[in-house]
Amino acid sequence: MLDHSLKGATASAFDYHALNAMLNLYDDQGHIRFDADRMAARQYFLQHVNQNTVFFHSLDEKLRYLVDEGYYEAAVLDQYSTDFIHRIWDAAFARKFRFPTFLGAFKYYTSYTLKTRDGQRYLERFEDRVVMVALALARGDETQAMAFMQEILSGRFQPATPTFLNAGKSSRGELISCFLLRVEDNMESIGRAINSSLQLSKRGGGVALMLTNIREAGAPIKGIENQSSGIIPVMKLLEDSFSYANQLGARQGAGAVYLNAHHPDILQFLDTKRENADEKIRIKTLSLGVVIPDVTFDLAKRNEDMYLFSPHDVAKVYGVPFSEISVTEKYDEMVGDKRIRKRKINARAFFQTLAEIQFESGYPYIMFEDTVNRANPIAGRIAMSNLCSEILQVNEPSEFNDDLSYRHLGTDISCNLGSLNIAMAMDGADLGATVETAVRALTAVSEMSAIDSVPSIRRGNDESHAIGLGQMNLHGFLARERIHYGSTEGVDFTRVYFAAVAFHALRASNALAREKGQSFKGFAASRYADGTFFDKYVTRDWLPATDTVRALFDRFGIALPDRAAWADLRDAVMRDGLYNRNLQAVPPTGSISYINNSTSSIHPIVSKIEIRKEGKIGRVYYPAPFMTNDNLEFYRDAYDIGPDAIIDTYAAATEHVDQGLSLTLFFPAEATTRDINRAQIHAWKSGIKTIYYVRLRQTALEGTEVQGCVSCTL
Amino acid sequence: MKDIITPRPVPRAINWNRLQDDKDLEVWNRLTVNFWLPEKVPLSNDVQSWASLRPDEQALTIRVFTGLTLLDTIQNALGAPAMLADVQTPHEEAVLTNIAFMEAVHARSYSSIFSTLCSTKEVDEAFRWSEDNPHLQAKARLILDQYDAGADPLRRKIASVFLESFLFYSGFYLPMYWSSRAKLTNTADLIRLIIRDEAIHGYYIGYKFQRATERLPQAEKDALKDFAFALMFDLYEIEARYAEELYDGIGLTEDVKAFLHYNANKALQNLGYEALFPPAACDVNPAILAALSPDSENHDFFSGSGSSYVIGKTVATEDTDWDF
Repeated sequence: MLDHSLKGATASAFDYHALNAMLNLYDDQGHIRFDADRMAARQYFLQHVNQNTVFFHSLDEKLRYLVDEGYYEAAVLDQYSTDFIHRIWDAAFARKFRFPTFLGAFKYYTSYTLKTRDGQRYLERFEDRVVMVALALARGDETQAMAFMQEILSGRFQPATPTFLNAGKSSRGELISCFLLRVEDNMESIGRAINSSLQLSKRGGGVALMLTNIREAGAPIKGIENQSSGIIPVMKLLEDSFSYANQLGARQGAGAVYLNAHHPDILQFLDTKRENADEKIRIKTLSLGVVIPDVTFDLAKRNEDMYLFSPHDVAKVYGVPFSEISVTEKYDEMVGDKRIRKRKINARAFFQTLAEIQFESGYPYIMFEDTVNRANPIAGRIAMSNLCSEILQVNEPSEFNDDLSYRHLGTDISCNLGSLNIAMAMDGADLGATVETAVRALTAVSEMSAIDSVPSIRRGNDESHAIGLGQMNLHGFLARERIHYGSTEGVDFTRVYFAAVAFHALRASNALAREKGQSFKGFAASRYADGTFFDKYVTRDWLPATDTVRALFDRFGIALPDRAAWADLRDAVMRDGLYNRNLQAVPPTGSISYINNSTSSIHPIVSKIEIRKEGKIGRVYYPAPFMTNDNLEFYRDAYDIGPDAIIDTYAAATEHVDQGLSLTLFFPAEATTRDINRAQIHAWKSGIKTIYYVRLRQTALEGTEVQGCVSCTL
Repeated sequence: MKDIITPRPVPRAINWNRLQDDKDLEVWNRLTVNFWLPEKVPLSNDVQSWASLRPDEQALTIRVFTGLTLLDTIQNALGAPAMLADVQTPHEEAVLTNIAFMEAVHARSYSSIFSTLCSTKEVDEAFRWSEDNPHLQAKARLILDQYDAGADPLRRKIASVFLESFLFYSGFYLPMYWSSRAKLTNTADLIRLIIRDEAIHGYYIGYKFQRATERLPQAEKDALKDFAFALMFDLYEIEARYAEELYDGIGLTEDVKAFLHYNANKALQNLGYEALFPPAACDVNPAILAALSPDSENHDFFSGSGSSYVIGKTVATEDTDWDF
């Protein structure tokens, strides 16, 4: 933070933090004080932002200064005429953008805007940042630049943090959000993975690694028994690597590791998050994910034991890494094969342990392996997800020489993300154009990125141009339209909206393929090429089933694609291809939804007044978008709504998302492990692909609560 | 002549299925699910933030935590054990041993903060300061007088509630203040876990006090109340000076005092007494008040661990759950 002088915090004149905190305390009449937050936003500008912003007499002077001082990348501006530069800046400021909440403004100025090198003074307003992002991504195309600016500034499209934070700046991190790396069962691959994690963290992305292929503790090395230390020490190394590498102190490196449920170290893996775990094995900041195949559910249903298989032996028997095998398919075969060493645990006890750990720590994430692979239109296997469990793509192993150079360069995964604000996109009335502009902006990020420090990532990106278009503000939109989250109408809207977005995203990627005369590598082997992907869209319509939702789309003037439109699209895709291998992924949207005045992702709100805490901003209070003292009934929170309605909503969306969606489950602390297990079973049955965090809310013991606090009342 | 040794009472096993007071089980359950250890909080994420504090702000913070360590040490080693002698039910005894243990965890936590953020020299200096500080020593002595073996059990409870619900808060103020300013947010998480525990401790001991006084004759009730208010006045006077000494340098004393008033009222409320300070004197900075609630905080997992996770209740799934 820029100012932390302790003066001025006294109770006499409330500063903006105190005004903001009043949101969380009811007034005398029991109303939420929205006006206090608006005052906080205003005071923040008066007391802080305006005083600390460097003043320039004109746009020319400002740009000259920023380029000369090495803040802005000259090459970005040089692609455009001075006349156009003036036009786009004028158009941006003419929109008179104002932050509706204190947190939106505070988050923007603490974490995104360009500052002087000593961190003391602001060099950009919100409009400046938006225009620079638009200019950078449009790469000299004026029409495109104007379109990007309008979409972002209107709030319809919001690029993910790395893009929005970095585009157009001279000294900056990468524009890409998220990386996924394979780790194979040898020291070279492990060493390379640690190096890649350092490199990618330094450049500012979350990194996930798949440990499924690493042999278990006690496995032989070079034929000598009891030599391997298993995966826990690798996790320790990774955890320390992520703590060490941060982007110029801007943010801690963040990492996740995924392990198959049938890996022999699975219980030790989970125990690293236990409350009473020994310091040597406790994992504090690394995130965990478990990959669960269908067979595990079947075994649990029959209350049988589940076998865990040594990855080392599996690789020897099948000649491919463990992660390339479908455990469900080969389960009986592997159980019967005495060359594969194995041990067993009770399947239900495994699920119970999973829930216990989720209670204590919120981890692990879960990926339903077979669901994911059945829905994957691309040739190849998906065996892991990422730090937010929404990226689901195929990858290919690399092989290394002793000096860590590549004997065979495989592919790893990167994904750049951006999200639509559902409410604003609906208000905009041209959903097709909004989606297409977003797809083009995300594609630009992919084309502008070349991560040379990790060649397998670079190759993966070059060949796939995978992007992840997300969505946010579902709950905010539904509540504004007086529809309950998770109701029949709420689910109906979600289904229809996501089908329409899928249509337009594919349409845009198909247009890109035609323009560039190029499809992603592997298109010919995909279910897009033979048209089977489109079967479910050309045999039925995905139109509203309820009158309310039909009226809603009519009122907003949004045209929806019917099966004939889908059939035309199928033919065009089969003929001209798709430029992007992956198109949609729905991230959890933390920071950007505050700036964008949205509810996170397609989750319900966590509280009417959300208490947001994170490293850079401390504790700040955020009112749900469009909420007033008159429509509070539509703002039931996630704990109140319960897991089933959330799962139903996500299932409706999942149907039309080629990658995944970050789905968090919310429980009161009085829930039991059985409640969590039942929600997991329901999610799996409903075709959910991944589960992100489990969050708990503990209500204060009666008599110990803070009086009159909005977030404490039920 | 028979032996004159008084016969030892028959030792009885504790039976949690025969409760004299349901509150014992309720509080026991809450305390056990709330179990935590300082290792859970990634304090090292605060190292950079710590470095951005000015030296005087750092020194203040260390001193505040040393003061808190002293209170937790007293409560762990003397306070909770002293009350064991006065228990009304065996279950209360079990709850008190849990409280005693968690107080030790709290005292241990401050050392975790120190070892993560500060140098040994700074910490040693602060511990020396705590031994020499007249206000800190005075309030410790006032409480300890009531913990002495011969003291009245009900007065002991009063002192204990004041310690848990009032004396801690002049110290808790600072980490809450820092976290509202985006400083030391993980340390604040840890402190919030402590606050979560202390709130229950103060509430529970206060509750037991109220139950114990119910049947007393009015004269004794009045005497206890006089004692409680007199002790509160004495403690408040010391606290006010303690707060001035700590917080004058950075201009927060008035705000801290409002917070003291708020918590003094809360402590009295735990004992079943009316408020001492009028609402106008308890106008706590909303940023601090709102920061006290651990509920439903939506934290970013990549920079903190939050204070809402608990040890869950384990229930096995049944065949009907796996119906697919």
